[in-house]
Amino acid sequence: MQVNTVKETRITTKAVKGSSPWAIARRKFLKNKLAMTSLGFLVFVAIVSFLAPYITTQDIARVNIGKMSLAPSSEHWLGTDKSGRDVFTRLLYGGRISLIVGLSCTGLVIILGTIVGAIAGYFGGIIDSMLMRFTDFVLTFPFIVFVIVLNAIFGGQLNGLWILILVISFLSWGSVARIVRSKILAEKENEYILAAISIGGSPFKVIVKHLLPNVMSTIIVQATILFATMIVVESGLSYLGFGVPAEIPSWGNMLSSANEPDVLQGKPWIWIPPALAITFTILSINFIGEGLKDALNPRSRR
Amino acid sequence: MSRLSHKNAPLLEVKNLETAFSIDGEFHNAVDGVSFSVKPKQIVGIVGESGCGKSVMSLSIMQLLPRGVGEIRSGSIVFEDVHLDRMSDKEMNKIRGREISMIFQEPMTSLNPVFTIGYQIEEVLFNHMKISKNEARLKSIALLKSVGISRPEKLVDEYPHQLSGGMRQRVMIAMAIACQPKLLIADEPTTALDVTVQAQILDLLKSIQEVNDMSIILITHDLGVIAEMCDEVIVMYAGKIVERTDVESLFYNPKHPYTELLMGAIPKMDEEAEVLSSIKGIVPSLKNMPQTGCKFAARCPKALPECSAITPLLGEVEKGHDVACILYETSLPREGVNA
Repeated sequence: MQVNTVKETRITTKAVKGSSPWAIARRKFLKNKLAMTSLGFLVFVAIVSFLAPYITTQDIARVNIGKMSLAPSSEHWLGTDKSGRDVFTRLLYGGRISLIVGLSCTGLVIILGTIVGAIAGYFGGIIDSMLMRFTDFVLTFPFIVFVIVLNAIFGGQLNGLWILILVISFLSWGSVARIVRSKILAEKENEYILAAISIGGSPFKVIVKHLLPNVMSTIIVQATILFATMIVVESGLSYLGFGVPAEIPSWGNMLSSANEPDVLQGKPWIWIPPALAITFTILSINFIGEGLKDALNPRSRR
Repeated sequence: MSRLSHKNAPLLEVKNLETAFSIDGEFHNAVDGVSFSVKPKQIVGIVGESGCGKSVMSLSIMQLLPRGVGEIRSGSIVFEDVHLDRMSDKEMNKIRGREISMIFQEPMTSLNPVFTIGYQIEEVLFNHMKISKNEARLKSIALLKSVGISRPEKLVDEYPHQLSGGMRQRVMIAMAIACQPKLLIADEPTTALDVTVQAQILDLLKSIQEVNDMSIILITHDLGVIAEMCDEVIVMYAGKIVERTDVESLFYNPKHPYTELLMGAIPKMDEEAEVLSSIKGIVPSLKNMPQTGCKFAARCPKALPECSAITPLLGEVEKGHDVACILYETSLPREGVNA
């Protein structure tokens, strides 16, 4: 609630000042009920996940043989898994990992992709050709195989989680680079870019101050889609056993116990919570993405 | 200014400029051996049809040709003793916006839609001066006021989409004159505006020119604008200068057949012409440009058989009046002199 009132006061001061394209987009987004509900849900998931140590006092790693595979009860809200660990606790901590992986990968991919795409699009010519051929090259890597191999090579040298993040990011920036490049190519034909150069702006300044703000809407929408994708990728890899190290709880790791028919059929409390968490998180991120796309599109008047 | 050795030395001197565009791997000259100079405080008009190389020339002077597509093939552009054509991008950035500025044709697209007006004017100042945020803001308000905007304090915080075309062009002018450049290149500054606003913008440019002692290169295809503004006029056709003279003799005594036709194409209020006169044909595209002879020969009503064989030179027919047409002896190729 408090978050909401703070936001609203900021909007009113902005509206008085003049309606920047961003202010208009924000107003449109705030009116979109589905997107706002989704955002609320996502914020809730994030808060609960990151405050996990204060919400639950269970130890995530401790194996408790006496309490294996217990059904939900007042002591263990969502029961325990096959090693006797509290599912609710693991769900919260798992959300933390999934969100960290999703956010970090998205951040890295967007940064890398934007840098490569912007430079290629702005300078064109040989620089463009070289960068884009390199991008094509990276995009041809078979993703799963590479993640597995690289993870195996580098595993154990660094914290396993960060290896995974770096490897996923390094293999995924290509599509963002392509999108940013094509956007920059179109945007740089505008006369205000020529005008910006004609007042003595260096290439760096023109790219950062004039081109990127104008392609930002595309990048933002792309980022939300990526965020959802990255959570799915992490879950998928962890489910297969090639993602986050097994001792760290993540939604994907938790799901992988559903491999066993016994768990799948008879102990739904072990795998349904992470499955629902993934589904609803992805859904809400996608709704937010749609909302942003609508809000940032100057032609939509909703 | 101290670098100028004597008073009448040109501010800008363009010599034998050839700017070419690469089409399918071949270079074709869009500006083909153009020489002219601009003196301090002078307004030079460049007039010609679409596609005759006016804009390419202005982009050449500013070194803003599209990378990898257009390039200066030969000739020199000297601005106050420095060769612009030999400068690196970094050195050029110190001149662009500071010594030479440019205003563009389309005010609707030449301002960045995501920034406030004030921000964009301040950017010019920050590019070239050591100035605090607050000073820059005050200066941009003053600049907006000087280009005739009535409520500059409010306008600095507004976005381009909230302004009309004429207002935006005023903002562009404010940006261009922010650092008091010595030369302003105005590439069809009024083409996209309606007639009353056109007149206001031209008046504004003229008064700024007088106050700031700056020179202007005014590129246009509107002879009315030329008549109102310029001291000297250059008529271009297909990348070449066909006539150069002062504005009086251009209107009362045009020499080149092309200029005569241009004059004839001005609609006159007192004649009841049913059909407006025009020049037959179009400027040949870069790829189809005749290599020898006069490039206008194919459309010229006074063309002689020799026209397609002899390339006319720009020669002085009367004092201060140069024409490139073999109807005049001065344009015939001379021994030992090559174009």
